[in-house]
Amino acid sequence: MDDEAIVELRDIRKSFDANVALDGVSLSLLRAEIHGLLGGNGAGKTTLMNILYGLYRKDSGEILIRGQKVNIQSPRDAIQHKIGMVHQHFLQIGSYTVLENIVLGTEVAHRFTMNLEEEARKVQNLCERFGLQVDVKATLDTLPIGTRQKVEILKALYRGVEVLILDEPTTNLTPQEVDTLFESLREMVKEGMSIVFITHKLREVMGICDRITILREGRKITSMLRSDASEELFVRAMVGEDMNIEKSVFFARETYATASVDRTFTPILELKNLQLVSKEGVPLLKDINVAVYPGEILGVAGVAGNGQHELAECAAGVVRPTGGRIWMDGEDVTGASIADLAAKGLAYIPEDRLHDGFLPRANVAQNLILGYHRLQPYSDGRFIDWKTVFQKSREFIQEYNIKTGGPQDPGGNLSGGNIQRVMIARAFSMPCKLLVAHNPTRGLDIASMDFVYRKLLERKNRRNATLLISEDLDELMLMSDRIAVIYRGQILDVLERSRFDKYTIGRLMSGIREVA
Amino acid sequence: MMPVRRIIPYLIAIAASFAAAGIFIAAMGFDVGRAYATILFTSFRTPNGFVQTLLKFIPLTLQALAFTVPLSAGKFNIGGEGQMIVGAIGAAAVGILFPELPIYLLVPLVILAGVLAGALWGLIPAWLLYRFNINEILTTVLLNFVSFALIDIAATGPWRDPAAGHPTTIPISASGYLPMLIREPPLHSGLILAVLVVAAVYIFTSRTVSGYELVATGANPGAAAVFGINVRRMFVLSLVMAGAIAGLSGAIEVAGVQHRLIVGLQSNFLVLGLIIGLIAKGNNLAVPFVAFFIAVLEVGASAMQRTLMIPVEMVFIVEALVLLFVLLSDVVRRR
Amino acid sequence: MDSTVDFLRLILLSMVPFVLAGQGTMIGGRTGVFNVAQEGIMLTGASIGFLVSYLSGSNPLGMLAALVAGGIFGLLLAYLTTSLRMDQFVIGLALFFIGLGLSTLLPKLVIGVTLTPPLIPTIQDVPIPLISRIPFVGPILFNQNVLVYFSILLSVGFWYFLYHTKTGLELRSVGENPMAADSLGVNTVVMRYAAAIIGGMLIGLAGAYLPMVYTGTFTEGMVKGRGWLAIALTFFGGWNPMPILFGSLFFAGVEVLAYRVQVISSALPYQYLLMLPYVATILVMMVTFRKARVPAFLGQNYDREKRAL
Repeated sequence: MDDEAIVELRDIRKSFDANVALDGVSLSLLRAEIHGLLGGNGAGKTTLMNILYGLYRKDSGEILIRGQKVNIQSPRDAIQHKIGMVHQHFLQIGSYTVLENIVLGTEVAHRFTMNLEEEARKVQNLCERFGLQVDVKATLDTLPIGTRQKVEILKALYRGVEVLILDEPTTNLTPQEVDTLFESLREMVKEGMSIVFITHKLREVMGICDRITILREGRKITSMLRSDASEELFVRAMVGEDMNIEKSVFFARETYATASVDRTFTPILELKNLQLVSKEGVPLLKDINVAVYPGEILGVAGVAGNGQHELAECAAGVVRPTGGRIWMDGEDVTGASIADLAAKGLAYIPEDRLHDGFLPRANVAQNLILGYHRLQPYSDGRFIDWKTVFQKSREFIQEYNIKTGGPQDPGGNLSGGNIQRVMIARAFSMPCKLLVAHNPTRGLDIASMDFVYRKLLERKNRRNATLLISEDLDELMLMSDRIAVIYRGQILDVLERSRFDKYTIGRLMSGIREVA
Repeated sequence: MMPVRRIIPYLIAIAASFAAAGIFIAAMGFDVGRAYATILFTSFRTPNGFVQTLLKFIPLTLQALAFTVPLSAGKFNIGGEGQMIVGAIGAAAVGILFPELPIYLLVPLVILAGVLAGALWGLIPAWLLYRFNINEILTTVLLNFVSFALIDIAATGPWRDPAAGHPTTIPISASGYLPMLIREPPLHSGLILAVLVVAAVYIFTSRTVSGYELVATGANPGAAAVFGINVRRMFVLSLVMAGAIAGLSGAIEVAGVQHRLIVGLQSNFLVLGLIIGLIAKGNNLAVPFVAFFIAVLEVGASAMQRTLMIPVEMVFIVEALVLLFVLLSDVVRRR
Repeated sequence: MDSTVDFLRLILLSMVPFVLAGQGTMIGGRTGVFNVAQEGIMLTGASIGFLVSYLSGSNPLGMLAALVAGGIFGLLLAYLTTSLRMDQFVIGLALFFIGLGLSTLLPKLVIGVTLTPPLIPTIQDVPIPLISRIPFVGPILFNQNVLVYFSILLSVGFWYFLYHTKTGLELRSVGENPMAADSLGVNTVVMRYAAAIIGGMLIGLAGAYLPMVYTGTFTEGMVKGRGWLAIALTFFGGWNPMPILFGSLFFAGVEVLAYRVQVISSALPYQYLLMLPYVATILVMMVTFRKARVPAFLGQNYDREKRAL
């Protein structure tokens, strides 16, 4: 770690309409360091880095690179200043090859024939230097997530960046893949690169970062060296004074003590030999056998894209399985639609709120009754009782702390976190025996995550069952009574609480079954 | 009802487009003041002018609703013209083939035939969308052109009126004529039908469960489907309803105004209906008000062309500009 | 034999409006700009092309005017959707209305209302020396008017540009994933504007072709739905220049066939033949639409500062 600040952000301010995302944040990044940018969702970390990368325009403040004031108006400028960024949701062209994705936007040797052999060689060299193996001729949408992330990193390395920003890079990696990533990062730093590592996982930060800056609600709280850091300091900085940390679920030190679940009762949800085959004949779910008992939270762990989405949709009645049976509280509901299941007490929180969960062009009230609009008290089956709907909506807005102008407010006005709150309010709005939740806390700040965890635990007391599918392993280990690990559409194992161990689960997530 | 403040952007849009067109009219050497006076006031100068306006109001409102109903579900029905023509053919067919039926049977049958025929013409693109996922903008437009050929066949076939100079059929039986509300100037009861349809559409979309599902489908078909709404059925339903409404407009023209099938009866109602639907921003309650305004302009335009020799297309450009300015006002409001 | 040659010649002649309008739609669509105003732009192109040619005595000048008019429509489309982020379908419809109105208004203002519309001379064929003498193929392919040659060269040029040049790779990326393209420094705004304007120009030219080759004058409704058919054509062709060229042959073929049959046999009522192009299009769509490969962000606007939901 050198003393020379390669990037300096001074007093950056940014607002989106009425919402202040960044309120005068300053940050300095030294040469050859890994700098952690830590904070909950909505703290402003991604916004700050998007400004550095030219995707957002700052309202005020200065950016200095190698001591010189610069004006970054677009990603092109950032790239010229040797800054690169790997976004949380990869920005790739699925139908292009790896090589095309990497060289897109750069100067190539033969621009009028697109003979890319020279460029392919350059990429190969980088792969070897940094330990990131990829097949440059492969089409991108055939590759798994871990490989696609390597392509994202190669895009930046190819451009010879000296500053690399990584936004939540470990979200979709197994613990083992995370270790490999960290090794690659250390190689890059040895060659003099500086890295900004954005995350909300405070334990991760301790493992890799030299210095850490913590943001909360658009303000910088503190910066510190790793040697001076501790979890308590992080926690206090990330949540401020408002939250009661001792009582919180999120920060619970020990795995949260819960009464053990009685498995002699009829399971609320039982999937027997469930199969799902796609229209093209590709098996998506194979031989799924799981049960969720009254009062249980069954976690499902796995790397994204291994069948979680399909499992959620089958369990919730969105998609009909091609084989096997589904039982809900002793009743065979195979093939029942989600509307029927909603009437029986099922609620669903889908993962992709943009596509599957929310109606941006409808108002908040219309969003809150989606899926329940045929049921009492909202309607008698023919006409909708809007008066009741609005009244209930106002109650939910209050209880779930949804920041909005009111039930008539168009959904498009809500921020991501508030949309998630609407989906959660909706799921908890009706008495619900079975909750199928896929990444329910995505986009929520720490206090809200805590609120959701509390609500989930309350369900246990009422002997309701929850199928919690999440790509956040910490969350699962905190909340679940048992964890099932899904890999390539199959459940490899179901672990009891006593056997919860990150690396064991990590191996299962990579498809390595335990040898007896 | 509608708060006054919300009308202001519309008024500005109207003023702006009149101003823009006015410059053009003056540049061409015409008297702008007289032109605008004619456009705006002809409808209100004589009882006949007012009735003419109402007679245009009816098909315009129905054509606009035939566009806005599928629009709530996110679909663009550009086929109101074909649906109207086919509805007119159905209505005329019944009116010509069953002259012996008494008025209280024939009139409802004539209207019903038009509605069903139009619904069928809406079902075809709906089915093509449902089964083959073909974009409805294309299929509805293509079926318009097919309907032109069909009406030509109908008007030059066994029902043709040899005395007429223009392709037309013989008149329908007199017991198929829509009863008149007023004899002189002639205002037929189709007006009541139109108003009923407006009310029915409003109640459907804003108060019923199916109406909610339609709106949810338009807002985000993916999410609507996940939460149990049969989205594809909603698309079909909306297009069939639209066809029925447009078919009704054709039946009304035949049974109420012309009493026979005339090639060209569709006039420019489709394009104006689309403009009305877009200016009303898909709001079914606003449609009749905008439709009335456009009807006033259209009546004024004909008068203007007759008396001042200014081409009617000038008014059409004004109407298109009103739409553009209304759309732009949204952008301004966003900032 | 002769009549087959004539038939094929006529097909190549008739494919031009489809090729130009199709490629014009395609190039915009590849950046995500979905133009649905073709019918109005073609009408305006026909109207302005005819009027300028009539007033100036020069067909090339008329074509230029049509290009400019089409380009202006393209510019408006780009501005209102890319910069002001308005809905592409709605704006397309609005531009269609304006094109429709202008195309009938301008002749009335310039020429007035007459019973005998004035005529312009149609454009001549330009035989390519030597090759046009090759039997059979010669007259069909090499003895056509300038715009036929242009259509073919344009299609090949677009194909090469899109798939074998650096700028083509960048242009396609804007329609596939504008966020990805933007994040790598590709100028999505310039690409969208350029594609929409060039597309508009081609569509305007397609309209001008009609009076200059077919009838020698402008009549209301002379485009007859070819603008809408161009959209269907673009889908069939998978938004790909060469399939669009071949698809145009099909559309032209149906059109010429209907005309031929009408001339030859009056047994079949001509109205059924009138329907033929449209019904044929619907039938072909039933077969091809499922598999159509469409640019991923077709019809969607991109806002760099829009926060991910």
